Amino acid sequence: MSDQVSPSEDQSTGLIKSTQELGAGLFLMAVAAFAYWQGFDLPRGSLRAMGPGMLPMALTFMVGAGGLLMVIYSFFEAGPRLERWSLRGPFFIFGGIIVFALLIRSCGLMVAGPASMIFAMLASDEFEWKEATIFSIAMTIICILLFKTLLRLPIPVIGTLLEPIFPF
Amino acid sequence: MEAFFGNLALGFGVALTLKNIFLCFVGCMVGTLIGVLPGVGPIATIAMLLPITFGFDPTGALIMLAGIYYGAQYGGSTTAILVNIPGEATSVVTVLDGHQMAKQGRAGVALGMAAIGSFFAGTVATLFIAALGQPLTKLAQLFGPAEYFSLMIMGLVFAVVLARGSILKAICMILLGLLLATVGTDLETGQERMTLGIQDLSDGIDFAVLAMGIFGFAEIVRNLENPETRDVVRAAIGKLWPGKDDFRQSYFPILRGTFIGAILGILPGNGAVLGPFASYTVEKKIAKDPKRFGRGAIEGVAGPESANNAGAQTAFIPLLTLGIPPNAVMALMVGAMTIHGIIPGPQVMTKNPELFWGMVASMWIGNLMLVIINLPLIGLWVKLLQVPYRMMFPAIMIFCCIGIYSINNSTSDVLFTAFFGLVGYTLLKFGFEPAPMLLGFVLGKLMEEKLRQALILSRGSFTTFIERPVSAGLLFVAIVMLALALLPSIRKGRDEVFTE
Repeated sequence: MSDQVSPSEDQSTGLIKSTQELGAGLFLMAVAAFAYWQGFDLPRGSLRAMGPGMLPMALTFMVGAGGLLMVIYSFFEAGPRLERWSLRGPFFIFGGIIVFALLIRSCGLMVAGPASMIFAMLASDEFEWKEATIFSIAMTIICILLFKTLLRLPIPVIGTLLEPIFPF
Repeated sequence: MEAFFGNLALGFGVALTLKNIFLCFVGCMVGTLIGVLPGVGPIATIAMLLPITFGFDPTGALIMLAGIYYGAQYGGSTTAILVNIPGEATSVVTVLDGHQMAKQGRAGVALGMAAIGSFFAGTVATLFIAALGQPLTKLAQLFGPAEYFSLMIMGLVFAVVLARGSILKAICMILLGLLLATVGTDLETGQERMTLGIQDLSDGIDFAVLAMGIFGFAEIVRNLENPETRDVVRAAIGKLWPGKDDFRQSYFPILRGTFIGAILGILPGNGAVLGPFASYTVEKKIAKDPKRFGRGAIEGVAGPESANNAGAQTAFIPLLTLGIPPNAVMALMVGAMTIHGIIPGPQVMTKNPELFWGMVASMWIGNLMLVIINLPLIGLWVKLLQVPYRMMFPAIMIFCCIGIYSINNSTSDVLFTAFFGLVGYTLLKFGFEPAPMLLGFVLGKLMEEKLRQALILSRGSFTTFIERPVSAGLLFVAIVMLALALLPSIRKGRDEVFTE
């Protein structure tokens, strides 16, 4: 994906030879465990007449087995270290999307737009209130003109909650 | 032969109405506009712009969509040449020599040659589709469930072989994609599977939602994490039309690139992605002076760009003839077609010939449109690329949100997209490449259906996949490919191809 980052050096010392591989394996095993918990009671049927649970369970076991293999490899084969995880980016970006989802019906794009964009912009180190406010309002106006006026998408601009205040 | 021209004439008759030309133009324009943004690849672009096609009749909508597709592809190349950032896997190669040319003040020539090469490749690929469409459709009608299943297995194996990095990880990604595809109501019994009791999941996970989360949002977070190293060309763009020498050097690379790309594009399992790499390698191998490559050799732009566009177009062949999307972008096309009530597959050509041939013709018009729109607008794209990322990402985010919301007018879709964005970010951190997962997801439902049908027909015996010759042949190819990819010597070569 991003080629700018120099690939983190391979680990060769210690018990675990690649924390990234270990994490990847554990992640897959967790997914498999969750899928098993969700799907183990589905009827599996027979090969002649497969039930709804047959394929999901087969795949679940394969994903789990793949995860286990990765965990085992991580003790033997040197590989990349797990990168540092940042919290700020994911929190504000995904938070911004959630803000949009929560506001779009009730308050419409004219509120959801600026609110979600300003929230998301907090993810950047160079955040500035004035710039963010002006930019997000301008973007919202562009979006309304583009998606509502020009393309006639059924996206709410005013929203059910604010409709009584803006009677047009 | 007569049918070939008759069909093309029918297609151009449909595509050349004023309205459809206009739709194609708008599609190319907005496709390029969004596709040029760094970090926004064709998948995110198409998912974002999907709703704008909803208001039109199916033919018009598909023509517009095809325009968006080519625009997005070409936008990626523009970003690759002007900024040192490949928009997607297929323009990675273009960066190598394209950006060097740009630094030498020859960005215009690079962009011009990319457009001309793409146009030529697009023309050939259009004829290719027109010629191959009918025979392949006939072939597809001979396919039973077992053959379909084996073909899709082969496609997934290709995807594993073509994925970067660890093969085990790629296999796991495919399996995860297949597992995600099983979420939702079971096709035969109507029983809900792994929906966590969430009403909105009973129809399964929407492909656009998954793709946008994993390719759109995860990428934004990823970009924010890494300090910005955007290297927008400061040198002059220079003249656009390549000189005599440039043409002389590019004729054969364009021809070879077109051929390589067109062939690889037909392969199921995203063969198109291999085209630019293969073309670049070939050009470098047969060049008199291989040292020029990586320092602004025009062949390194002309060949791969032609291969890229040819592959992007012939990738439609498995979709239109067999109904099997060979990559994630084509899967979005399936979604778009289904919304307009068209189920891709061999029946489209027989039942909706206007639509089928209209779309084929509009591909060519789309390619022409790109040359006409893009070259004069390069100045605008350069301006757009200079917008700092701190302003670009909220804009991308709001477009994505509006796009996803508008597909089903659903707020839960927006929330799911955020969730899958988080999943995508996690996958990137663990060193997984998400593309194979998307392909697994795309083929999952169809594979399960065909597997079940095949096993019912064979009364539960797996030997049906080996007893039927076509199916056995496809599986054999798949096994050979996988075995080759696992061989240490080839594996090394494969790594080299992708790191070069």
